[in-house]
Amino acid sequence: MTMSEHAVAVVDTNVLLNLATPVVDGRPQAPSGSDPLKALLTAYDIHVPASVLGEVTDATGDDDLLAAAADVVLKAAHHVTTHDVDDRTDEPLDYGLDRGESEGIWLANELEADLFITDEFNTTNYLFVTLALADRNTLFTTPHILCTLATHEILPEGYVDAVLTYYVEIKGWDAQYVTQLRQHHLE
Amino acid sequence: MAEEKTRVDFNAPKSLVERADSVVEVLDISRTRLLIDALEDELEDLANDEEFRRRLSDAYYDDRVDYDTIEAILGREEAMRLKLLRESIDRTPAIPELEGDLPSDDVFYDGEVSEWTDSNSSDTDDESHT
Repeated sequence: MTMSEHAVAVVDTNVLLNLATPVVDGRPQAPSGSDPLKALLTAYDIHVPASVLGEVTDATGDDDLLAAAADVVLKAAHHVTTHDVDDRTDEPLDYGLDRGESEGIWLANELEADLFITDEFNTTNYLFVTLALADRNTLFTTPHILCTLATHEILPEGYVDAVLTYYVEIKGWDAQYVTQLRQHHLE
Repeated sequence: MAEEKTRVDFNAPKSLVERADSVVEVLDISRTRLLIDALEDELEDLANDEEFRRRLSDAYYDDRVDYDTIEAILGREEAMRLKLLRESIDRTPAIPELEGDLPSDDVFYDGEVSEWTDSNSSDTDDESHT
């Protein structure tokens, strides 16, 4: 297996943390039996700016679910290619985006990545991400990619269905949007 | 604001109109002014109401309302967000590739993954039940 066979995806911090959350969540409402973080990092060639792993590291240390998720992301970090993008120039505007996001978009444009994945779809930040990406057709969200992983039988469809419900409940993801994705891709 | 006006006639319960007329008298404004203010307040409340927004975005996804309508109600940024999200729904991403099965936790994470349970708050729950 060589990495070059895989499509290149640049991901945002929240994608990694969100995917790790059901993996470490031992509470009854969390779906079990699959690992969406492992699925993403295995099925795509994942790249991030160094600031994303910095943001993950910042989330560790507490005794909460987010910190537990961050720990697992760091244990899987050797499956992620990290880029130092401190030397980026010609960046006109960062809009209202945080560092990981804006550097991730810059990296996606630079690598001409097949995908840029973010979970900023609940807020108007989604507009700024769309505007800043060179090719807006490469913009995807975690729920969309989870559906794709189910379509290609990398994750069981039943698990993806359950984990989408879990995210809507614990993360407040836009339920109408997630319903639309389900109808288009899972049924 | 010299916006064009349109005349609206409607029937309302008599007692409601009487209450409105009493208020109009106290405030020394016209009945029309009160109705316009009330309607504007209600529309603004609805635009910020989660249940209404849910129904509006359902209607937009199902093509029962058009973009101009959601822009008029939600404002341009929120309407643009919905439009872009709707356009992205049937987009197909680059294909994920997996040879064989997913690796084991031992191989992938270089060790076990420990589960998090909400031990602190379940203690609190126990106390609150007793």
